Amino acid sequence: MSRVRWIGGWLLGIVATGAIVGLSRVPYAVSPTDHAELRFAWRYRSVSLEQCRPLTEEENAALPAHMRQDEICERRLQPWRLTIWVDGVQVAEDTVRARGAREDRPLYVFRKLTLAPGTHAVRAIFAPIGPSEQRMLSLESGVSLDARQVALVTYDPDTDRLVLRDVASP
Amino acid sequence: LAVADAWMNRLYSWRYNPLYHSGVVAASLLAIVMVTGVYLLLFYRIGSPYDSVAAITERIWFGQWIRSFHRYASDAAVVATMLHLVRMWLQRRTWGSRALAWLSGMVLLFLIFVCGWTGYVMVWDVQAEALAREGARWLDALPLFSEPIGRAFDGERTLPGAFFFLNLFAHVALPVGLGLVFWIHVARVARPVLVPPRPLLLATVGLLGAASLLVPIAMAPEADPFRLPGPAPFDVFFSFFLPLTTPLPAWAVWAIGLTGGGLLLAVPTIMRPSSRRRPLPSVVDERSCTGCEQCWIDCPYDAIQMVERTDGRPYLVARVDPDLCTGCGICTGSCAPMGVGPPGRTGSDQLNAVRAFVADRPVHREVVIIACSRGAGGIGAQPEFDDARVFPVTCSGNLHTSTVEFLVRSGAAGVLIVSCPPRDCWNREGPLWLEQRLYHDREAELKPRVDRRRIRLVFAAEQERSVVGAALAAFRADVAPLDAVAAEASPDVEQDCKTPAPSVAEARG
Repeated sequence: MSRVRWIGGWLLGIVATGAIVGLSRVPYAVSPTDHAELRFAWRYRSVSLEQCRPLTEEENAALPAHMRQDEICERRLQPWRLTIWVDGVQVAEDTVRARGAREDRPLYVFRKLTLAPGTHAVRAIFAPIGPSEQRMLSLESGVSLDARQVALVTYDPDTDRLVLRDVASP
Repeated sequence: LAVADAWMNRLYSWRYNPLYHSGVVAASLLAIVMVTGVYLLLFYRIGSPYDSVAAITERIWFGQWIRSFHRYASDAAVVATMLHLVRMWLQRRTWGSRALAWLSGMVLLFLIFVCGWTGYVMVWDVQAEALAREGARWLDALPLFSEPIGRAFDGERTLPGAFFFLNLFAHVALPVGLGLVFWIHVARVARPVLVPPRPLLLATVGLLGAASLLVPIAMAPEADPFRLPGPAPFDVFFSFFLPLTTPLPAWAVWAIGLTGGGLLLAVPTIMRPSSRRRPLPSVVDERSCTGCEQCWIDCPYDAIQMVERTDGRPYLVARVDPDLCTGCGICTGSCAPMGVGPPGRTGSDQLNAVRAFVADRPVHREVVIIACSRGAGGIGAQPEFDDARVFPVTCSGNLHTSTVEFLVRSGAAGVLIVSCPPRDCWNREGPLWLEQRLYHDREAELKPRVDRRRIRLVFAAEQERSVVGAALAAFRADVAPLDAVAAEASPDVEQDCKTPAPSVAEARG
């Protein structure tokens, strides 16, 4: 192998290694702008709704003998609605349904809002859809956010209310 | 690809061309990743992932170097794997008995990425958080989990230690699966090559080791659920998809991923030639088979078995499994009695073709080129090159030494055999076996009576026409002083080469 080829071979190897090193540390921002974020996240156990009705004779006839019954009941957890206002303007209205194919798992709330850094008035209402024994939850608070700061509105099961967290807390 | 191969051959020669060795380089790099990973694992703490990695990077002896080596070797493994994949795809080496290697290769690639992602999550810096959030977003779109996985990263509660335990378990367990899939990957390949040539391996390790020393990786900012990450160093090789998928809804990511994955898995079916164009599998003429086992030894895909004969002769007979046979015809060159090969491409067929070639125009005092029709400077498809007549073969491994002998005994001044470089053979081992048959007495060897000065083997990739030209000029100069060979009117090499099968009576003694 000639000296030129030898040098060329090593140079290409060094360039390729340099490319690997360079591409392994490319600056990238998942959030490219300097905005702030208001995040709503919690787990909530809704009450179970049961709807029962009698089975018709035809429906019973279609069932195997051992599965026939007078009444059939379907249970699911009550859905809730999350409504959010920021600086007096309604910015979100979400229906939150229980998870699971039978809607029998807890409700999980997750909503994030992009805000400009600064102070904002936040109001949130989390209320059951339809008549319920459970009371609605609400939050009304001012929040001051720096660029890239995240504030979290979550549910505190100990006090049974929505709370605002704007710093990491255990 | 052919142009890149030619350039790389100029720089590294075909022996050390990294493009030819991309698969084994990837395997070696993964082995390095595993070894360095074991060292890092000793100091990793599930309870304090970021702090323990920071300690490895800043305080542990050789920690930063090993961690950098681990990272760069992983990145290089992705590059080598992608090169290997693209190479196999461009060369259409994806269907038939190679389909298993292609499919298992796809699984390997996926596992390599998952290993990488779990490895990054272990660090729990901003890149880890971005990867974890994105992965959770995809998984939460599936109706599989009663509790959304993404909830773990919202800051609503402290990230559970179980998350890092599961992640670590996956990161350690997946390489074991990787080993198993790798074994499947080479299962249908006889004599798989697992280690690259030593100079190439040492150069790769040396360059990555030096890069780890000179440009070690540093800690990125720690993941913080209450802070949106600003620009931070991301690894393109494992996080390349983030800018593409983050703006898309999860269902679209799944749709694109499943479509792309499905297409990759369908490549063996899509690229399979129609039955009309597909090479026919080899067949065995049992009357000629002497049970020497050479075709069984030489077959690059383990498609030939030696089985008991049913005609009472006291030795085994070769039998080809048509499902495994790629029709490469390597067995044609390995069978001295010319009893095996794809229909129309057996040794006898080749000998008939070379007879017609000589009858068409005598080769007396000429240099004749025998060239592989795939690579070999691209000259296999043309009748002449630089005023030398070209006798094409489908692979240099197909070449029966009787064909070479026939040309010499027909008065040719010399026979220049142009083959693809050994690591670039479409049929894996053609050039290797040919060289051994010509110069090292491998079974079906070129007979000692053939003057070796009139035979030359040269390796050239598809774009290396200049290599062939230079080799031809040098060979012509070397054979010019030799005395002319008297052309035999009808050289009967077939009878010389053929090992007559004994009759049943003879065999039974």
